[in-house]
Amino acid sequence: MELDKIERLLARYEEGETSLAEEKILRNYFLNNDVPEYLRSYQMIFTYANHQAQEKLRKEPEINPRKNWYAWSSVAAILILALGLFFFNDTSSRLNENDLGTITEEEVALEKARETLAMVSQIMNEGKSDLVYLKEFNKTTNKIIQID
Amino acid sequence: MKESTFLNIINPVKDKMYRLALRLLTSREAAEDATQEVILKLWNRKNRIKHYANVEAFAMTVTRNYCLDQLKSKQNNNLRIVHQNYESSNSSLQTEIEVNDEIQWLSRIIAGLPEQQKMIFQLRDIEQYDFEEIAEIMEMKQTAIRVALSRARKAIREQLIKKHNYGIR
Repeated sequence: MELDKIERLLARYEEGETSLAEEKILRNYFLNNDVPEYLRSYQMIFTYANHQAQEKLRKEPEINPRKNWYAWSSVAAILILALGLFFFNDTSSRLNENDLGTITEEEVALEKARETLAMVSQIMNEGKSDLVYLKEFNKTTNKIIQID
Repeated sequence: MKESTFLNIINPVKDKMYRLALRLLTSREAAEDATQEVILKLWNRKNRIKHYANVEAFAMTVTRNYCLDQLKSKQNNNLRIVHQNYESSNSSLQTEIEVNDEIQWLSRIIAGLPEQQKMIFQLRDIEQYDFEEIAEIMEMKQTAIRVALSRARKAIREQLIKKHNYGIR
C-alpha cells in the first residue's frame, strides 16, 4: 500500500534521516494527492516549502552601484563650498597688521597665552560634564522588553 | 574576472541568497539590501572566488554571516516586529486566500524557531541542499545538522497541530 510507505518515510523524515530522493517522493505525494485528514499538517508543511521556494529577488543585483558616484559628488560639493567661502571671506575680513603684536614683552605674552588656553580647557571640561546624561539612553533602551 | 562571468556565477544563487536573508531578516526590503550587499562583497573578492571549491556554498555562508550580523546590530532590532505580507501572483482568489492563510501560520511558526533551526530548515526543506553542502554553509557537523533539522521539523508540526487543531479535527 502506498500510504504505508509514505508513513514510514514520514517517520524517518521527522528524524532527519530521509535522503533528498526520499523527500522528493514525499513532496510529490503531498503536492499531487488528496491526503487523509491526519496527514494534513504534513501537507501544509510541504506546500509551504514548495511555495517559499518560488520567492524571487525582484531587483537585479548591481555590482557597480551608483553609490560611489553620489559619494564623489558630495565631496566635490563640499570642496566647491569650502573654496568659495575661503575666497570670499578672505577679502571681507583681512587681518590688520597693526592689531598684532600689541604685547611686546615675552613674559607677558606667555602669561596671556597660558591664561587663554586654561580658559578654553575649562570651558571644554564644563561642556563635557553635561554629556554624562547621555548614558541614560543606553540604560533605558535595555529595559524595553522584546516580544516576539 | 569579468562582470559577466561573475554574474553568471551569481545568478543561479541570488534567489537562494535572498530567500535565506528573507527567512532571517523577515522584511523584504532588508533582505533585498542584504543580498545586494553580499553580492557586492563577493564582487570585491572576485579574485579569490576562483579558489573556493564550492562558490555557491561560500556565497550562502557569506549571506548567513551577514544576516546574523544585521540581526545583532541594534539598528535592525525593530525589523523583527515587521509584519510579513506574502502575496502570490498566480492562482485564483479563493485558493489564494486559503494558501495565504496557511502560509502566514507557518511563517509565524518558523519565525519563532531558533535561528539555527530556521536556517537549516530553509536550506534543506526549501532549497533542498544535501547534508554535505548544508554542513559547509552552516560550518557545522552533519550529525548536528540532522539533529537540528529533526527538532525543527518536529517543532513545526507540533505547533501546527497545537495551534490550529489540524490533524485532530
